[in-house]
Formats: sequence, structure tokens, C-alpha cells
Amino acid sequence: MGQRVAITGVGVVDERTPDVATWLADESEARRLSRICQLTVAAGRRALADAGLDAHGGLAVMVGTEFGDMVSTISFVDGYLGRGPGGLSALLFPHTVMNTMAATTAIAVSAKGLSLTLSALTVAGELAIARAASAIRAGRVGACLAGGADEPAPLVMSALREAGAAPELRAAGAGFVVLETFDGARERGARILGEIAGAAWRAVPARPHRIGSTASSRAIAAALTEAGASAAEVGRVYTSANGDGPREEWERALVDAALAPHRLTHRSLSVPTGRHSGLAAHSVATAASEGGDKLALVHAVARGGNQVAILVRGPDGSDS
Amino acid sequence: MKPVAITGLGVVSPFGAGVKAFWEGLSSGVCAIRPITLIDTEGFRCRIAAEVPGPIAGSARRSRADRLALAAAREALDDAGVDRGDREDAAVIVGAVGGGMLEAEAWHWRRMRGSTEPVPRPLASSFPSAHADVIGSTLGLTGPRETVVTACSSGAASLAMAADLVGDGVVPVALAGGVDALTRICFMGFNALRLLDAAPCRPFDRDRRGMSIGEGAAFVVLEDPARARARGARVYAELVGYGMTGDAFHVTSPHPEGEGMARAMRIALQGAGVAAASVGYANAHGTATAQNDRIEARAMRDVFGEGGLLVSSTKSMIGHTMAAAGTLEAVATVLAVSSELVPPTAQLETPDPEIPFDCVPRVAREATVEFAISNSFGFGGQNVTLLFKRAA
Amino acid sequence: MEPKEVFDELKTMLVSRLKFDPRRAVDLTLETALPKGVEDSIGLDSLDFIELSIAIEERFGIAMDESADLAPHFASFDTLSRYIASRTTRA
Repeated sequence: MGQRVAITGVGVVDERTPDVATWLADESEARRLSRICQLTVAAGRRALADAGLDAHGGLAVMVGTEFGDMVSTISFVDGYLGRGPGGLSALLFPHTVMNTMAATTAIAVSAKGLSLTLSALTVAGELAIARAASAIRAGRVGACLAGGADEPAPLVMSALREAGAAPELRAAGAGFVVLETFDGARERGARILGEIAGAAWRAVPARPHRIGSTASSRAIAAALTEAGASAAEVGRVYTSANGDGPREEWERALVDAALAPHRLTHRSLSVPTGRHSGLAAHSVATAASEGGDKLALVHAVARGGNQVAILVRGPDGSDS
Repeated sequence: MKPVAITGLGVVSPFGAGVKAFWEGLSSGVCAIRPITLIDTEGFRCRIAAEVPGPIAGSARRSRADRLALAAAREALDDAGVDRGDREDAAVIVGAVGGGMLEAEAWHWRRMRGSTEPVPRPLASSFPSAHADVIGSTLGLTGPRETVVTACSSGAASLAMAADLVGDGVVPVALAGGVDALTRICFMGFNALRLLDAAPCRPFDRDRRGMSIGEGAAFVVLEDPARARARGARVYAELVGYGMTGDAFHVTSPHPEGEGMARAMRIALQGAGVAAASVGYANAHGTATAQNDRIEARAMRDVFGEGGLLVSSTKSMIGHTMAAAGTLEAVATVLAVSSELVPPTAQLETPDPEIPFDCVPRVAREATVEFAISNSFGFGGQNVTLLFKRAA
Repeated sequence: MEPKEVFDELKTMLVSRLKFDPRRAVDLTLETALPKGVEDSIGLDSLDFIELSIAIEERFGIAMDESADLAPHFASFDTLSRYIASRTTRA
């Protein structure tokens, strides 16, 4: 059973967010942080402010990302290709490692607990939130910023297209939810936006970069078991659809098979503006805000077979 | 945490393929750091690294890193005797940083110099998450699948995350490890930071001048101890505790007093209910940078007391293998405990008086150790300590 | 090269390599301190100094020896400009 997992804050920013700069603390953050790190730091601070949670030592940070900070990475290597060793930037090098968003955010908000960056195609943000929820449920973590960030680099996008990858809508952005133990959130008088009732992640058999040939999967059933709920209790579905047609059809089949005989309307927040790993936090928070008696399923599946299922309960259901 | 059994090991290291070659190399104190052959090093101060020698088994359509990872993952699963039926539920967790970047860089270099060749196939697998998909798909692992990036501690974080999945009862068995092939980005970046020694690195030496980089892959099979016993599996050691902390201090420099490092070590001990005095060996992060070794030693002194345990850095032989380092060193620690032999710190001639530990200079030491830790620290202040117990 | 010319080059580096706002470079004087933690400094940390060293090596063709203690030279624009000027003149 373990701890109940409360959602107490959300912060999502993208390229259209007008006030990203106002969430940066000083000149050093403005000049040293890459764009994706600025977005991530801003999203983290917004989520903590929304949760009314002060930065504190034990806070954990879990960041999902597809490709990390490839914009800085390409800029780093092009410095060398253009000018030789003297063109290399020491400031850019740390950004070439995918944990740079988590690291700069942890530094920005003084989070000294567990910090993990999870990288995956398509499902990274959902995976980070599911991991965080399981760590809180097991009592290993008290509070966590969980979400993700991405910034499509033009070179990567064009190379993927050239390599025959499916067309996908991608955008730059970052987003977090604040997850806490339900008891801890109550104790500090936090506003509770909702609850993560269950979360699970598994792989569906599929070759790398391909969709699988089966509609049977296990993550949704495992999440339902953790939530102590039946498929009939799921009332809304948020998916990872973002323009990759075959994958979208596969996702629909996986979800419908797991919830059969119930067929629900699927909704994706990645359309039309484009998907980034921070949208998982947006989906979870939106699902919670809609409340009602039913659970919402936040689902994602990637080519290659990685699948994540998160069951979200609104605040009305949480008080019972 | 609930203890988990380590029942399988797999390694591809600068000593070649296989756990046997790895352990023979480490216990003989041989240094595998040599001139770089994989990439152009013209114009850089440091031009050496610990490369995996010879051809790497596997299809040329896969990245070098994917091939390293697959070979090590196969060996670990076979070693543990995890058969097809058990694999369906098994988790796979991979610590990764560079992914297939070696091949992607080569293509980008050519393209920037005017080539119009199409994007080669391995480029689709340039990113770190490719390894887990390749391993999962090829070896039939369809449990939870994760790729973790905590910079230079990624290969240790993957074991801790796998231990949680096994301990929470989510899976009965997990394959966890780390992989990195040499990349230009890594080589150029550490050169730019002036952290590389032009000669093989000398951890804990007074005259140390920086690190040597390397490459490799290592995987371990983690399993519920009751299940391992029931099926009569060989248990090398148990993972009984871990600590993962953040410095929240600086993107490249560790906290000057090693606060986050010491906290990771203490959390590992507390989680296992093990007294600091029971720990006999620490496989240090030991990169041989002036800063790391001094600060790590300070953190270990705070936790274990001066001279409280044997310390060595196997990076003196295999270099810093990035995301593979945490797992290669976990395997070295497990083998030290199970074979009652502590691997040495090669090239250690003049111990730094600021480092108050016996760092096992140059020659392996016979020692019976009940508990041992493996430390791994990464950029951004990502500290991981794993605590192993000798199998009963 | 004169310290004054070096200072102008350093201001350019501050913008191009250390990503300072160009408007910030206008207010700098030779007396402005560099290291973080010093009053009225421009707040450079260890990583900034490495970046600056690479830029100095590239621009002035001198080696910034990492084994030597460079901290005194990195105290202010004045000390750094003089150091670079002396190295380039000698060479």
C-alpha cells in the first residue's frame, strides 16, 4: 500500500511563455544557463511557488528528456569544428550531458535529495513522474519536483527526418508537478490538486524505433492494481499522440485493450503545439483539475515499446 | 532498503571482453591506458585513454556503445542463468551518457567538411536511451525499462534504481548496468576543462595531474535473495544499501567539504543498518583530479575516520569510463568482496599526505571484507554510494 | 601589446565567450574585480576562469599554465591585463 501521493503544484513553460526571464534569479543564471536549462529552472520555481513549498534540502528532482540539451551539444562541437581546440567552450561542456537540466534546477532551488534524469523516446516525462510517485509511495522520498524538458535542435530534427523517422510534432518546453506524501502535504496545509493513485511502467515487445505487433500490455493493468481500481473506474484518457500516425493507432489499441470493454475519448495535450517531456506534468495536473469521481489515465508509449501509465484522481476523490 | 542478491556479472572493459579478463587485469595492477586510436587527438594536451582493445563483437549496423552494452548484458544474464521465461518480467536499467555519439560525431564531422552522404543507420540510435531499447528487444526483456543519466555516476544509479524495483516487489529480477564508448565530446570536453593528465592518471598520488578517460560496459543481475536461494543461484554479494544525493552546489565542482558525498555514504550505511566500522573497503570515485581525490578523502574521513578502511581507485587501470564507471567499479567491489582480494591503485608512488587512507599502492591486497562501498560522483553534484555485503 | 588594448579584448571576450550582456561591458573599469564573492565583482567562478583561459590562449597565443597559481592574475581586469601584456611582450 505505502504512502499516498499528493499533487500540490504545477509549473509548465514553453517558448511562448512571456516571463521566463523573471523566474531567473541573477545575472549568472541569465548568462550561464542554456535556453533549455532556463526553461527547466523557470518551470521548477513556478511549480514550487504554486505548491507553496520552500526550497529545502531533502527535495528530490526527476527530469525526463528525449534528447537533452542538444542545442548546446551541437554548439560545443561546432566550436571545435570551426576553430579547433581554442574554439571549445568549457561553459558549454557540462550541458552536453543530459543531466544538465536536473543539475541546474537542483542548484537553483537548493534540492539536495535524490536527483535523476531519465531519458527515453516519447515517454520520458511520464516516466519521471511515475518513478517519483513510486519513490514517494515507498517512503524513500518526501517531496519531489517531477517532470521533464526538451528543446528540439534543428540538426537533430533534420537528421531524424533524413534517417526516415516518423514525423512528430515537437516543441521546446519544460514542466514539473510537485509530488509529496499526502500526509506531509496535509500537515503543512498545502492545497492538494489531486493524487497519483497508481503508476507503472513496462515495455511492450517491439523492435527499436518500431511499433509493436501486439495490443496487449501490462503497465495499465499494473497501475490499476496499485490504485486498487478497476478499468471501469477510468473516465478520461490523456495520451502521448503527437503526429506519428502508426504510433498513435498503436497507443489507442493498447489503451482500449487494457480498459476493454470501455472505450473512452482520448485527448493529447501535445497537439497542436508540439510535444516536449514537460507536457507530462501538464497532463497530470490537467487530469487532476478536472476532478470528478472517475480516475484519469495519463498514458504514453514510445516506438521501441516503452510504456508508462499514471492514474490520477482529482481533489474531490482524494479527501474520501 | 531490502537487500538484493547479485547473481550475474558481465563486463567489456579496457582489458577486453569478459569478467575474467577484467578481474585478472585489476588484480594484477595492470594499467590499460594507452594512446587513443578511435578518434583524432591532434592539438590536444592529453592524447591517451583506456580503450576497449580489438574488434567489438556484434553487427556493424549497431553503434560501438550498443555492441559493448549487448555483450556485457548477455554475459551477465547467462552468468546468472536467467532464461527466456524469466526475462519477460525482468527490468532493464541502463546508465548512459554518450549513447551512440561516436558514430554521430563522425558523420557530423564529415558533413561539416562538405560530405553529402546520407544519414547512416546507427545514427537513429545516437541517444543514450537506445541501449535499453536494443538490449530489451534483443534479449527479450519486457519489464520496466529505464535509461538514467546522472553523468559520471550513471552506472551506479542504475543499480540503486534496480534494487528499488526488486525490493518493492515490482520485478523478481533486474538487469542493470552502464555503458559508454569513447566520444570526441567527452575527450574534448575534459581537455577543455583541463582535467586530463597527459600521462596515465595517478589517483591519490601527491603529484597527480588529472584523470584519464576510458570506455566499457558492465551489467549485473539483481534478484530477490529468497528467489535466488530457491533456484540455487550463485550469489556473488548482496547490495544492502545505497545513498543518492545532490550537492546543489555547482555544475562541475564538488561541494568543497564533500558534504553531498559524505551524506550519500551515510545514507547508504543507515539504510542498511550497517556501522561505518564494519566497512573494510571503498572502491573510490578516485578520478585523480586534484580536487576530487582530496574532497572524496575528506568525505570518507568524516564518515569512516582516518585510515578506517582500505581505499583504492581502479580508474588508475581502466580510466574513467563515464557512465560505465559506476557499474565496472561495482563489479570490482563485488569481486573484491567475494574473492577476498582488494584491487590496487596503479601508478601510486607518493601517497598524498592529505589523504589519510591506505590506498593499496600498485599491488593487490588479500583481505577479508564483510562490507564494501563503491563511490561514484558526477557533474552537477550527483553522488551515489553503493554498499555491498559479502555473500553468506 | 599595451594593457589598455588587452583590456578591450577582455571586454570583448566577456560578451562573446562568457555571455555577458554587451551593455554590462560598457560600465567595466580596470579596477573591476573578477572573482565571485568579491565586492562589486563581475562574479566569475572556476568554470568561467577556465573559459577565459581558453579564450586568452586562443586570442593572445600564450599558454595559461594550469599548474601555476593564476588566482592573483585573475583578481581584476587590471591584474589580468598586465599579466597578459607582460606575457605577450616577452614572447
